[in-house]
Amino acid sequence: MSDALSATPATRIALRRQGLLPRILGAVLLSFIIAALLIALTGHNPLTAFAAMLGGVFGSPYQIGEALNRTSPYLLAGSGVALCFRAGVINIGADGQIAMGGIGAAGVVLLWPGQPGLLSAVAAIIGAALCGAAWAGIATAIHLGRRVHEVLVTLLLNFVALLLVQLALAGPLGQPGAGFLQSRPLPRADWLWRAPHVFFHGGIILGVIAALALSVLLWKTPFGFAIRVTGQSRRAAAYAGFSAAGITWGVMLTAGGLAGIAGGTEVLGLHHRLIEGFSTGFGFKAVTVALLGALEPAAVIPAALFVGLLESGALSMQRQIGVPSALVVVIEGITMLLILAATVRRA
Amino acid sequence: MIDFLAASIRIATPLVFAALGGILSERAGVFAVGLEGMMLMGAFGAVIGAWASASDLLGLAMALAGGAAMGLAVAIVTVRYRADNMVTGLTVNILAAGLTTYLLHVLAGSSAIQVDPLGPWPIPGLSAIPVLGPLLFAHPPLTYLALLGCAGLSFLLYRTQTGLKLRAAGENPEAVFVAGSSPMRLRFTAIICGGAIAGLGGAVLSLQQVGTFTDGMTGGRGYLALASLIVGRWNPWGAAAACLVFGAAEAFELRLQTYGVPVSSYVVQMVPYLIALAVLAGLGRSTKLPAAIGKPL
Amino acid sequence: MAALLEMRGIVKCFGAVRANDGIDLDAQAGEIVGLLGENGSGKSTLMKLLFGMMPPDAGGIVFRGRELSDHNPRMAAEAGIAMIHQHFTLVEAMTVAENIMLGWQDAGWRLKRREIADRIRETSRRLGLELDPSARVGDLSLGRRQRIEILKAVLRDAELLILDEPTSNLAPPEVAELLAILRHLRAEGKGIIFITHKLPEVLDVCDRVVVLRAGRVAGFAPVAGADRATLARMMVGRDVPAPQNLSGSGTGATRLSVSGLGGAGIGPMDLTLSGGEILGLAGVDGNGQLELAETLAGLRAATGGSVMLDGRDITHASVSARMTAGLAYIPADRSSTALVRGMTIAANLMLRDSARPPYARRGWLTKRATQTRAAALMQGFDIRAPSPAVPAGRLSGGNQQKIVIARELDRNPGLLIAHQPTWGLDPGATHFVMERMLALRAAGAAVLYISSELEEVLAISDRVAVLAGGAIAGIMPRGGVDMAQLGLWMSGRAA
Repeated sequence: MSDALSATPATRIALRRQGLLPRILGAVLLSFIIAALLIALTGHNPLTAFAAMLGGVFGSPYQIGEALNRTSPYLLAGSGVALCFRAGVINIGADGQIAMGGIGAAGVVLLWPGQPGLLSAVAAIIGAALCGAAWAGIATAIHLGRRVHEVLVTLLLNFVALLLVQLALAGPLGQPGAGFLQSRPLPRADWLWRAPHVFFHGGIILGVIAALALSVLLWKTPFGFAIRVTGQSRRAAAYAGFSAAGITWGVMLTAGGLAGIAGGTEVLGLHHRLIEGFSTGFGFKAVTVALLGALEPAAVIPAALFVGLLESGALSMQRQIGVPSALVVVIEGITMLLILAATVRRA
Repeated sequence: MIDFLAASIRIATPLVFAALGGILSERAGVFAVGLEGMMLMGAFGAVIGAWASASDLLGLAMALAGGAAMGLAVAIVTVRYRADNMVTGLTVNILAAGLTTYLLHVLAGSSAIQVDPLGPWPIPGLSAIPVLGPLLFAHPPLTYLALLGCAGLSFLLYRTQTGLKLRAAGENPEAVFVAGSSPMRLRFTAIICGGAIAGLGGAVLSLQQVGTFTDGMTGGRGYLALASLIVGRWNPWGAAAACLVFGAAEAFELRLQTYGVPVSSYVVQMVPYLIALAVLAGLGRSTKLPAAIGKPL
Repeated sequence: MAALLEMRGIVKCFGAVRANDGIDLDAQAGEIVGLLGENGSGKSTLMKLLFGMMPPDAGGIVFRGRELSDHNPRMAAEAGIAMIHQHFTLVEAMTVAENIMLGWQDAGWRLKRREIADRIRETSRRLGLELDPSARVGDLSLGRRQRIEILKAVLRDAELLILDEPTSNLAPPEVAELLAILRHLRAEGKGIIFITHKLPEVLDVCDRVVVLRAGRVAGFAPVAGADRATLARMMVGRDVPAPQNLSGSGTGATRLSVSGLGGAGIGPMDLTLSGGEILGLAGVDGNGQLELAETLAGLRAATGGSVMLDGRDITHASVSARMTAGLAYIPADRSSTALVRGMTIAANLMLRDSARPPYARRGWLTKRATQTRAAALMQGFDIRAPSPAVPAGRLSGGNQQKIVIARELDRNPGLLIAHQPTWGLDPGATHFVMERMLALRAAGAAVLYISSELEEVLAISDRVAVLAGGAIAGIMPRGGVDMAQLGLWMSGRAA
């Protein structure tokens, strides 16, 4: 058994124990300074650009709603990724799991039409969760069964899932003659609830519930305890009688299910149809918010909110003064590198 | 048929460069998940360099520099600060995507940057041979360079003291230390040089094949290169062969599309990834990773 | 003739412990000196000082007529000293020749592979090493790998070879071959320091023997004319310690019964423990202690035989089932197996019982009950820390071990397996651990006490067994301990 453990190729991730918050805030601050330099490079005043960003987010209730809608999938998928990382399982397959969730939700609604609204919506969300979990399950089975590093498996499956969405859109779910790959529109009755006036959809509420639930799971239950021990020392976990394989299955299926729901809410709440490539890049955002939240599911809420606000603000910055919104991706990347250097060690 | 094989080679060339760069990094003991970002920066650097200076050579120099810069970021964060290799590599990929998009927008606005793609350099005499000539001896310059790169890296790894130390740094850094060298310095150098080489792979995509840069133009090729170097067992020629298989799969897909064969192109596009997964799963436990890969010093 | 090596009055202290307390040692060219002593007698420290891995507090080293001071391992190697460690720094994925060329000037930047292969073959033949330059190191036995290290030293013109426990991982035929190789080296005029526990080998190959005990030279003698019993007594060096507490020993019913147990690294073995008994398992480290402890605790699979605890067959039971059956385990690896350093004292106290009351009720962790329990255990086991919320990694080794002991004993086990429970502890903490073992015995439990510190084993055990080569070499009751016999059992298969 010890042999099998030491042969596990999993890289186990560990956070520093102290000074996490100041280090993370410092990383964010420093990356904003670098971003300011990049803005100055374009001849714009960084302060004007940041002000445009801020104004863009809080300018109107509609824009707040838009920011919350961006936050929603990051929060759902990110809290699951945080759980995985806590157990030392580096799941970067949220992209694919979200994509599969989208297929699940659209599939339930479009292929099983005519159900009463509530039943249909609940079934669609459940279908999304199951598809996401199943996709994570395939990755887990290959990882544990064949001892392939989970990063490679989840990465490659992301590409496959992306193509599966296209395949579904070219086939049973597609809207023929649309000119590009998208599904038939979902009936209005199946749309996710939207807040009046602010227009954010129900995904963010599911996200907050999920993050809080995972936080409770992690800190208040024996399973959560086992996850934390496993992430810190696989030998100690074996000594304590916890099964590394069982824990891996547990966190991967949970995270996959949540990512699936994230995909489902994008389809049911935002796009109201399945569209090509709707999940691209979300997997990495999930990792970003998980680490930004120091792998604490409850803290992923502000982290995801921050990223969501930043991105929505960047769009209006681009509209208003012409600084490309891709700057946000640079900020995210640099923040992540700094956080990795300052807080994340291999255990 | 010749077209098909030539297309396979064309598609495989950028992968080969990236795989060679990845081999350098992984042989020295650091996972090369950042290949995608290194390629992307290289692709961007090549076009921008060639565009700004009107010199292809300067373009290539910029490709090397772009890839090396990403390598430097990986090296600092993983080797110096001992952070997780995998997540760092991914981050570099995202950073490269953001940086190239941002800078392209800043430099060119919404208009595309166009340069002349590198033309073929038919080798006099040899390229006139029927069948073999057009297949092997009428390629653009970087394709030959990829071949030279395989030979060069094989020589470096297996025939020189430097290669010996490099491989030892990935297998047992303590042995390198006892032998009087710094495994940390070796890893730093290997990752940065690997990044530069992967950057050349990006240059193949942008400067050699299309003469322009588009957002995210590497499209996951860095990950396929990563899979090929594992399948090729960290051996330059083995990895190149694996790249050629992926190239053939994609060329085959293009064929199918051209001839309107009623197989969904999406299924065919999945093939390279499914091959990679199947081979990795098939190798499974027998995969002999460098023993100290991913382990900080 | 001037000595090849002279070490005079070497002193090295670690805190209050005098690891080397005025040691003199010399070696001639063409001579094999045996350096004999138990774990902790100061051999390794002395050799580390010689090789420049740390500086001595006092004393001088002269090698080939030149003073060696403030040197580092590279300088020692350049001066002609080669150290062959117990664990080799070889690259398993590479060939013999590649390992030898690694970092070697003579190999050139562009590797002279053919020339080096020829030199390897030639030297290998001369010394009887039987090394094929193109063999992959990972495919070779440990004995062959050791010869690569020897060959490396010889090719790099080492004059003095230090071999640290060179036979501890070798099978008997390989031991004989190694000794033959050492004789070849002696014939070529090399000086050799041979560090070992094992008397037969010393008698077989050494010219002189120096015995260390507690940081001092306990004796030295030419090997000619010495006998095993004398050397064994020199090494163990004391009368049998006075018994601490023999009351109630071995009077209970059988609790643990192991028969024919086999697994990776341990041969079929039989063992029986009764309630109210401490069985001390002595032996040199690396003779199957870890394998036995982990197999009994359920962390390794048994490949044969059976393990019964209080009449229940636990041979293939899970870790949790074994705990429920009454098995407690104190692993030797305190820092990453027995404890999770980054987690709090309270979390470590519940590490193996997290799903059971009082730590969990109806599927939820019980924070208040856990805190109360932690506070009670900290008091009961004298764990000194400001609060149960302090990370375990911040505590001293003694306090860390008290956490482990508190957790394992709190379950009222029927059987405790304690592997090196006093390793790295100060005398106070050691005493505490011993007391707890004795209290557990008094309560009717059985204790398997595994330690390479013979003195401790003798002080605490009702019966003493010796583990050698993954098997029980012999068992004797505490009352009639024969030190010479123990020494022979410990020194290997020759007994």
